[in-house]
Amino acid sequence: MRRALIVDDAVTVRMYHRQILEGAGFEVDEAENGVEALEKALVVPYDLLLVDVNMPKMDGYTFLKEVRSTPQLRAIPAVMISTEAERRDREQAYRVGANLYLVKPVRPETLAWRATLMTARGGSR
Amino acid sequence: MGLVKRAKEDQAAPSKPHIRKYGRDLQGLLAQLHDDQVKARRWAARDLAAHPEAVSALCERLRVEPDPTVREALFGSLLAIGTEAVVEGLIPLLRGEDAGLRNGAVEVLRQLPDAVGHRIAALLADPDPDVRIFAVDILRDLAHPQAPGWLLAVVESDEHVNVVTTAIDRLAEVGTPDMAPAIQAVKDRFPNEPFVGFAVDTALKRVLGDG
Repeated sequence: MRRALIVDDAVTVRMYHRQILEGAGFEVDEAENGVEALEKALVVPYDLLLVDVNMPKMDGYTFLKEVRSTPQLRAIPAVMISTEAERRDREQAYRVGANLYLVKPVRPETLAWRATLMTARGGSR
Repeated sequence: MGLVKRAKEDQAAPSKPHIRKYGRDLQGLLAQLHDDQVKARRWAARDLAAHPEAVSALCERLRVEPDPTVREALFGSLLAIGTEAVVEGLIPLLRGEDAGLRNGAVEVLRQLPDAVGHRIAALLADPDPDVRIFAVDILRDLAHPQAPGWLLAVVESDEHVNVVTTAIDRLAEVGTPDMAPAIQAVKDRFPNEPFVGFAVDTALKRVLGDG
């Protein structure tokens, strides 16, 4: 089964995204911030990262930079999901290594098929 | 992680000859805040916690400081000073492009309930929805008696879906049963947003005590 890590400080958002990804056949873990997410990602071989931007302790951009500079993590597909629709935010997300940038609130069908497509294309790690 | 390791090294070596070239008074510390060496800047940032008059210098340094451990020290000193001047200095960071600065500012502001309280209403009325979301984030852990009321007002009146759902997420933690009708009513305002329905149902379970 494919495994996804949801990184978001809002518990309702984590629950919502978990429901969608589990419906799409993923096994799901959660982290409240980038620090906790890095610790989990170094232990569990995730197939997909779902990352918020604004979080305490370590924001999503910094987290993705760390992921992309860590050999064992750098190939994991990552979706950045933010409330920020500005073009500069999208550009910054792709600059730090996001494979996809989505603006909240995400429609269930969009997240489900994008996640499925990204993990199918990337194959298992 | 490297960030933690550097902090430990720093604690073990408080005063090097290089640092001693500066005076330990306000002017010396302000000069040291712009030193080439990270360790010198970090110590200056920490020691400036004893100088409330250094708030503007600490905030200005935050905007250009590249090292995360120095940033952490700068935020720590601003928190220790904790005056309304700190609040005024940090609020502009909420509009910046640096996510680390935005989140650092939120973390400090939510720990200053007395100083930040008088600015919450204005932040919640800001034309930029992202600033309003940060204001709601500040309210999440703000130990202020008006916090639940402010969140309820956002739920009842804000027109941006992400601001409202962020407030609902927070109200799920601190809301009371009498707020349930207002939370329920949000579904009618955003009938085509699946996440709104999910957030409302989740919050109602929590505030009504069956979640």
